[in-house]
Amino acid sequence: MDLTVHLPRNLILKNPIIAASGTFGFGPEYARFVDIDRLGGVSVKGISPEPWRGNPPPRVWETPSGLLNSIGLQNPGLSAFLAEDAPFLRTLDTVVIANIIGHTVEEYAAVAQALDREPAIDAFEVNISCPNIKAGGITFGHDPDAAYQVMRRVRQATDKPVMVKVSPNMAEPWTVAEAVVEAGADMISAINTVIGMAIDLKRRQPALGGVTGGLSGPAIKPIALRIVYEIARRVRVPVIGMGGIQSPEDVLEFLLAGAEAVMVGTITFQWPDRMEGIIEALPNVLARYGFQSLKEAVGAAQRPALADEEGLAP
Amino acid sequence: MAGAFKALIVTVRQVALDHVELIVEHERLRDATPGQFAHILTPGTLRRPVSFSRIDGGLGRAGLLVQVVGPGTAWIAARQVGETLDMLAPLGRGFAPPDPDRPWALVGGGVGIPPLFSAWERWGWRHRAPAHVILGARKAALVLMDADFRQQAIEPLVTTEDGSRGIMGTVVDPLRQWLSRNPDGQVMACGPNGMLARVSALTEGIAGPVQLALEQRMGCGIGACLACVVPSVPVGPDGPGYRRVCTEGPVFQREELAWSWI
Ligand SMILES: Cc1cc2nc3c(=O)[nH]c(=O)nc-3n(C[C@H](O)[C@H](O)[C@H](O)COP(=O)(O)OP(=O)(O)OC[C@H]3O[C@@H](n4cnc5c(N)ncnc54)[C@H](O)[C@@H]3O)c2cc1C
Ligand SMILES: Cc1cc2nc3c(=O)[nH]c(=O)nc-3n(C[C@H](O)[C@H](O)[C@H](O)COP(=O)(O)O)c2cc1C
Ligand code: FES
Repeated sequence: MDLTVHLPRNLILKNPIIAASGTFGFGPEYARFVDIDRLGGVSVKGISPEPWRGNPPPRVWETPSGLLNSIGLQNPGLSAFLAEDAPFLRTLDTVVIANIIGHTVEEYAAVAQALDREPAIDAFEVNISCPNIKAGGITFGHDPDAAYQVMRRVRQATDKPVMVKVSPNMAEPWTVAEAVVEAGADMISAINTVIGMAIDLKRRQPALGGVTGGLSGPAIKPIALRIVYEIARRVRVPVIGMGGIQSPEDVLEFLLAGAEAVMVGTITFQWPDRMEGIIEALPNVLARYGFQSLKEAVGAAQRPALADEEGLAP
Repeated sequence: MAGAFKALIVTVRQVALDHVELIVEHERLRDATPGQFAHILTPGTLRRPVSFSRIDGGLGRAGLLVQVVGPGTAWIAARQVGETLDMLAPLGRGFAPPDPDRPWALVGGGVGIPPLFSAWERWGWRHRAPAHVILGARKAALVLMDADFRQQAIEPLVTTEDGSRGIMGTVVDPLRQWLSRNPDGQVMACGPNGMLARVSALTEGIAGPVQLALEQRMGCGIGACLACVVPSVPVGPDGPGYRRVCTEGPVFQREELAWSWI
């Protein structure tokens, strides 16, 4: 079965499985453990114009069926990325997505502009949804007008395909999705982590150095599916779904909810080769559930009601 | 592609209350170095990092000495001979070999002792200058691997906090005395952060290298997620630099760490 995914602006994925930002480093780290060229794509760790230190440790805490993290977007900054990481990424035969972060609209635009010229980068994922930084980032992610401003400036900075990553930590995440599509976003990726917290009883302290953190892993899959479903029925651009994917069946759930491709994060820590396993098994699983093609599965579980009521095309 | 692998458990032995040592075998363990670790799959969402307590490169065998502190370590400690452990290994930067002509102190507290034993096993036999092993524990029943050191031709100095064995107190006083006699010495240490901070302070200015093996909560274990960091130099106005225990450590040179932030 052909697993190719055709996305806007000629972005073509070999298959719908993309490594999720922040869980796959800048690529070389996992090259020893994973055949990266088999993946549909890789979204690299968030990149800001200047280096960010990140949050104090501990930065991860295990929870039932989940993982809390407060990395705080530590990254070496744009120049170091271009000098040290881009050369490796240029050698990959898969789609490389730059996840971009900033404190201001101009910082987002600066990264997009600089990487617009970088051949290693095939597309952008504008991260306005990380719960682990106080200034910037999330303040854009929870305000449709601010999100619109970020996307509009990024759109001026690049003609490469751009997706915006949506936060689950608001009542109606689709309002942000609708705003950024209006500002020129080619795709939506959803969801980022769900804000949460744990207490370390031994230390009588918040478990994470950053006090709160973002929850990922199977615990958030129902939340993610619902948001992907709601966004997919409201916007006309492709949605890339993620949140707790562990198996080809999980991927199928996201496809049926309306995602055209997915990203896979936390499970990679346990099983570095799980994404490859999913890619291998996906054709059989699609067939087992009666789908002749990948495309046929996309949105198959969508209910028509909203489209009818609001006059939207499905 | 060198992904995770399943290492066969060939020996399991209880070494102290709530402490179990497993010997595992796999060809990929042949070039493990003392101070490196295995990232072990358990039923939890994350793997569990455990250092090598001994390494037989020829046979591809390595020891994992685990203290049961929670569900992951309890699961590992309950494995039986003939079962396998799924692991990513060997990972991290281990100890640099000691200079054989420089006095050498190995200082271990609790489950920090196993990586030091593997260092002694690998390099002790060729060491020409004097060597000194200091082991710390809370009480006599929790002293780890002292018999293993003795079997490898060195009598460790044991300290217990309650005085139930050896010298009453911590490893700090014996180390201070050793340092005053051996200002040209080199030190390897592993144990709780409080102990390592003291070792770091005491060893300031000694002539030889001071190598400290640290722990931190981990995600990937291979350098990709930036979860496992410790505060390091350079320290800026807004905070320290952060280095990854899983790849830039677990063994750090004393000068690399920013103890006032740890
Ligand atoms: C490089 C390295 C080497 C280690 N070597 C050994 C060893 O040789 N023997 C040994 O007994 N223990 C060792 N540890 C500590 C061991 O990893 C933890 O005790 C273990 O992960 C606890 O898991 P749990 O499920 O039993 O406990 P829980 O406390 O329930 O674990 C919950 C979560 O916290 C993490 N965690 C808890 N304590 C620690 C810790 N001290 N360090 C890192 N992560 C922790 C766990 O991995 C898990 O993700 C080492 C840790 C590191 C980082
Ligand atoms: C340790 C860690 C770091 C992350 N860093 C980023 C990041 O830099 N940028 C980003 O957009 N998302 C980041 N995320 C979120 C993931 O990309 C993903 O949205 C989320 O983890 C849900 O997917 P999962 O359940 O498959 O992990 C991070 C997640 C984790 C666990
Ligand atoms: S545990 Fe992921 S970088 Fe160290």
